[in-house]
Amino acid sequence: MAASFRSVLMTLSPGALVVRFLHVLRYDCLSVFQSEHSNVGGKGKVVESTEEYKFVERLIPPTRVPTPPKHEGPTPSGWTPPSETPPNLPYMIRRSRMHNVPVYSDIKHGNQKSTIVRKVEGDIWALDKDVKKYLQQLTGREPPTQVNEVTGSIRIKGEFDTELKEWLVKKGF
Amino acid sequence: MFRAALSASRGGICNRLLSSLSGESNVPSNLRIPPNLIGVPREKKVLPSASDLPVLRRCEENIPAHLSPVQTWLHSLESQDSEPLGIVDLHPDVFAVPVRLDILHAVEVWQRNFKRISYAKVKSRAEVSGGGKKPWRQKGSGRARHGSIRSPIWRGGGVAHGPRGPTSYYYMLPMKVRVQGLKVALTSKLTQDCLHIVDSLEIPTPDPHYLQDLVKHRQWGNSVLIVDVGEEFPQNVLQATETLKTISIIPAIGLNVHSMLKYETLVLTLDTVKFLEKKLLWHDSRFTALYPFKLPYSDWP
Repeated sequence: MAASFRSVLMTLSPGALVVRFLHVLRYDCLSVFQSEHSNVGGKGKVVESTEEYKFVERLIPPTRVPTPPKHEGPTPSGWTPPSETPPNLPYMIRRSRMHNVPVYSDIKHGNQKSTIVRKVEGDIWALDKDVKKYLQQLTGREPPTQVNEVTGSIRIKGEFDTELKEWLVKKGF
Repeated sequence: MFRAALSASRGGICNRLLSSLSGESNVPSNLRIPPNLIGVPREKKVLPSASDLPVLRRCEENIPAHLSPVQTWLHSLESQDSEPLGIVDLHPDVFAVPVRLDILHAVEVWQRNFKRISYAKVKSRAEVSGGGKKPWRQKGSGRARHGSIRSPIWRGGGVAHGPRGPTSYYYMLPMKVRVQGLKVALTSKLTQDCLHIVDSLEIPTPDPHYLQDLVKHRQWGNSVLIVDVGEEFPQNVLQATETLKTISIIPAIGLNVHSMLKYETLVLTLDTVKFLEKKLLWHDSRFTALYPFKLPYSDWP
């Protein structure tokens, strides 16, 4: 096993490393099975067992993003779960696959900052109006926005991602 | 797609035809239907209402709270005149996604081109035989100056910018874009009345005429693509579709956007719907691949 570990560490990329690791361990388990069938008998000094394979199995990652456990209100890290019932508004903003609010910041030419709200379903123009009203109250001026009905996203000029995230979380999205 | 436009505007066209008979011609020339057109106009499909019939199949995957499942009829292929058996629930994130025609186009173009290798190759002036020697001296002969008899301006010379060797047009669209293309295609088929759900593919005879008559009677369209899950198909359907060109059967893993656009109607079995929902919805909530998905993960396959 030590020799196989050393040979695994020689490879560079993480994907290749994982592949070699799994291949090597699978091969070792195969050899274990073969020797069990070949009737070595209880007299040999080497004892082979497959019970340790559970340590390998728990290292293999899952594919699906797990659903977070139930929380009432914000967690200590600041993450807030979405409300149980969707809010009674003409639009709906889904969470991302990692259960976060889909508001992202973008930069062009090193100084032009914008904010994108993605994954909007329903009446996107109503959301655009509400966003403009909220940002008018915050900053005193209405920021220019670009509504993309096909993809369901709004691009707002200016850096408002934290404010918009809190606003959407307060609404219950 | 064209038929949907026709059916939507049939009332409008009839009104406009009447008005044209009375002397005004409001209908554009490409939409005017000749009065002696042979064929029964397609019956309008009655949408299953939420109240009456029991739902024979519910979605197994979780549906988001703000969406409700799409409903459609469940048919049977047993006899030509059999009534729909009941109502079936379909997942809205597979069968009711926003119809992104740009993604559909991108996936269709990718499907056509990524397998393409063009073998066209022509010889350049270096590859055409001969032409190493200067044909005549630079000055004094009275003719134009040339360096080789195989230059592109000569007859019999090489091609200057021709196709060079086998070129591959291989590229891969992101996996999620291809998945979204499948979802958009399924949604379009459902909303345009071209999707039919069937409980199983058992038909009474292996005769291809039975299938053709059934399709014609139920006005399912000119071409039908039948999709089923698993390696074993009923023998009758296999024999019936073997010789037919307009009705084909494919396994569910072979479902693709190009086939869905080529065939007018899509017929899915209940097992196929379950398989498609499971596979297509997995992409919505999966991690990015740490290593290729062909290798083992703890909950895959």
